[in-house]
Amino acid sequence: MTKTTILRWACITVVLLTGCTALQSPPQQTEPSANNAVVALLGKARLQGEQGRLPEASASLERALRIEPRNPLLWQELARVRLAQGQYRQAENLAVKSNTLGYGNSVLCRENWRIIGQARTRLGDLQGAREAFSKAE
Amino acid sequence: MMAKRKFNKIKLFAMIVLAGLFVAGIYTIYLDFTIRERFEGKRFALPARVYARPLEIYPGLQLEPAELNAELALLGYRQTAKADEPGTYRWRGRELDLTTRTFVFGDGPQPSTACVVRFADSQIVALTDRFTESNLDLVRLDPALIGGIYPGENEDRVLVKLDEVPQSVVEALIAVEDRRFYQHHGIDPRGIARALFMTLSGKSVQGGSTLTQQLIKNFYLTSERTVRRKLTEMVMAVLLEMHYSKEEILETYLNEVYLGQDGNRAIHGFGLASAYFFDKPLPHLGLSEGALLVGMLKGPAYYSPRKHPKRAMERRNLVLAQMVDAGFISEQQYRDFRATPLGVVDRPPRGTSPYPAFVDLVHRQLQRDYRDEDLRSEGLQVFTTLDPQVQRIAEKSLQDRLARLEKARDIGSGTLQGAAVVTANQNAEVLACVGGRDPRFEGFNRVLDARRPVGSLIKPVVFLTALQHPTRYTLATLLDDSPLTLKQPGAEDWMPQNYDKRFHGNVPLRDALMHSYNVATARLGLALGVDSVMANVRRLGLDREVPAYASGLLGVNALSPLEVAQIYQSIASGGFRTPLRAIREVLTAEGDTLQRYPLNVEQVIEPGPNYLLTTAMQAVVHEGTAQGLYNRLSPDLNVAGKTGTTDDYRDSWFAGFTGDSLAVVWVGRDDNESTGLTGASGAMAVWGDMMVSMDPLPLVLSQLDNVERLWIDRSSGLLSNEGCPDAVELPFIVGSAPTKSASCGPGSMGNSIKNWFKRIFQ
Repeated sequence: MTKTTILRWACITVVLLTGCTALQSPPQQTEPSANNAVVALLGKARLQGEQGRLPEASASLERALRIEPRNPLLWQELARVRLAQGQYRQAENLAVKSNTLGYGNSVLCRENWRIIGQARTRLGDLQGAREAFSKAE
Repeated sequence: MMAKRKFNKIKLFAMIVLAGLFVAGIYTIYLDFTIRERFEGKRFALPARVYARPLEIYPGLQLEPAELNAELALLGYRQTAKADEPGTYRWRGRELDLTTRTFVFGDGPQPSTACVVRFADSQIVALTDRFTESNLDLVRLDPALIGGIYPGENEDRVLVKLDEVPQSVVEALIAVEDRRFYQHHGIDPRGIARALFMTLSGKSVQGGSTLTQQLIKNFYLTSERTVRRKLTEMVMAVLLEMHYSKEEILETYLNEVYLGQDGNRAIHGFGLASAYFFDKPLPHLGLSEGALLVGMLKGPAYYSPRKHPKRAMERRNLVLAQMVDAGFISEQQYRDFRATPLGVVDRPPRGTSPYPAFVDLVHRQLQRDYRDEDLRSEGLQVFTTLDPQVQRIAEKSLQDRLARLEKARDIGSGTLQGAAVVTANQNAEVLACVGGRDPRFEGFNRVLDARRPVGSLIKPVVFLTALQHPTRYTLATLLDDSPLTLKQPGAEDWMPQNYDKRFHGNVPLRDALMHSYNVATARLGLALGVDSVMANVRRLGLDREVPAYASGLLGVNALSPLEVAQIYQSIASGGFRTPLRAIREVLTAEGDTLQRYPLNVEQVIEPGPNYLLTTAMQAVVHEGTAQGLYNRLSPDLNVAGKTGTTDDYRDSWFAGFTGDSLAVVWVGRDDNESTGLTGASGAMAVWGDMMVSMDPLPLVLSQLDNVERLWIDRSSGLLSNEGCPDAVELPFIVGSAPTKSASCGPGSMGNSIKNWFKRIFQ
């Protein structure tokens, strides 16, 4: 293998591992959804979250996800609930899921990396957390 | 001497009497204990109730008015003139006035809503509050009851409180069974005397048991007819009356008694009987209807109003006559009620589940967390993911298509069997589960228990394993589909063949999956290592070990349709594994949340390789072995799928997904004989029927920033250009695409000349 090929595959590996890097700045979502039912359920979930009723908040988000299964904002919100529930591994996975669905939405992706960073911190993975936070910037 | 002997005799007699009294006393204390234990504890085992998903309606929802009607029918909503009571509706053209029922969900009680639903085409376009006329964001209907998990003897009941029981039912009961119920203390000497007299004089055979005695008999004793049992019954009846009020005894009686049989489910208590025979709650029961139920106590089978309406009518009228006799109703009322029809609904509302395969799945998932006896006795409320619309479609598609296949191909009628499972793509909820051709049959559940060789359904996992190494494999990598012999120590040589019995030389990886080439797949899998392919099968969600034989690369391992669905689920949801879920939450009988089954995901496959694989599976349907699907479905759906056929056409499989749902179908025979069907001609046809009716969303893959699309020359696997012959646009993980160009591609000789001319003339 030549040096350049090695370099090339190293690049690929890096790209493989990153996932949600916002290369261009895309149009940002202002409304979480065009569907009022989803907006209402998201609002309900946030309220339940503020009241500390986390399982209920989770259930409301799942109702919203049944209507819009590919809405990255809902997955992110669910990641946030899991973080509050102390389910850090889940929080990380859900934020990654949100990233894969949120191509091009840099605001959303940065927030996901912040959640991932927080989750990894709680899991004691400080190196991984640093990497995540750096992507959040 | 004589005196002494006499004295001894008296003494002996006294001792025997004392001993007898002592034993009787102990026995009475024992009976007392028995009675109180049963009465104080939970008196009735309540089955777990299983509910379908609640339908949520909101503006923008794709829903045919007919589908909503079917849902309302399933829920037992009634069409009324005003539609202003909970559980009623009325249509006004394309508008529906609907008043929902109150219901206690896992997130709390939900009040009744009166709303107006407006349809346009097959979509809900507006949802408003009927009184304030303000817009509603969404309305959640109550969920349909789809079955129960019953106690050992399959007793089912709906508990009622005495104040919910119509007075007329109590009166009819007292008139017929026990006129002096409120006067006696458990046993009724006058009743016994009368019964004795009537029996001895040959007028009629009467029981003479009080309601209390009947309850004792049902509750504690066997049905043997001995004097001892009768005496025990009487003692217990008196004891029961000492401890409990007449009201408590009556209420328990009304909930206990046996009133009919629905398949293997026993209908107990007036609450359930009211629903089962009249499809209405007990408080709404009319006098003549109550009289019929009371009359049936004497022999629920003999006086069954569905089987023997004439007998039941005579019996009911006898009860009415007794009520006149006892002074509860007037002669005039008697004549009026006598003239009313029985009022029994033809078809009993659903009891034993109409969806046994799904309830079976629910039961097994529950058994991981609960003791079976709790499931059968605690009255748990189980909220599931079943979508009755999808279930209905899946059942009908399987039934109809199998019958058509048998007819068209001259296969013996009834020999084909099948199974189908449908899930939601992203959250892994099981929407439908069909365990066989007769979906009401509570026997062999093929979705869970029919493990069959999966054939080519395994191939996507082989190709995924390759694509996880972008440095070695891309969709354009040429695979070798020339003859292959694998020498294995201690086993016969393995020489896989292609379905068309030909070899295809060098084929791009994507085309090998598209046409399901066995030899290229086997060679690829051997290069990757059978172990690493099987490890991926586990990673994608199979939760047991499968042997890592080379032939496993071509699907000799047997999996159930549900297991296949789990594996494909992870691919369909972008490489995230979520255990297939049939249950959302479990509530106690009182409505407190006992357990939730929240949505959890785990990334098991990187998004890039999963994306590439999915596009190859889309090619299977666009250009490969499953292209027949687009004779029926729009190609815009971009379905990703795979056919599977096993040796001698024993198993016909299709697994695939659209933008919102995933379905796996198996068709074969229970005796494992050949069906003559390929994956495409059997299972895929069923799958297509299902999707035509389900009207799914197209599969649009979310773009990834580490995936780029390039034009590739098919025969060489090198770079090409749009418009070049045999060029195809393929996704690559950034940096993994070939750099060399084919004859028509960028940097090729032809292009250089073209560019040279371009430069000159610009």
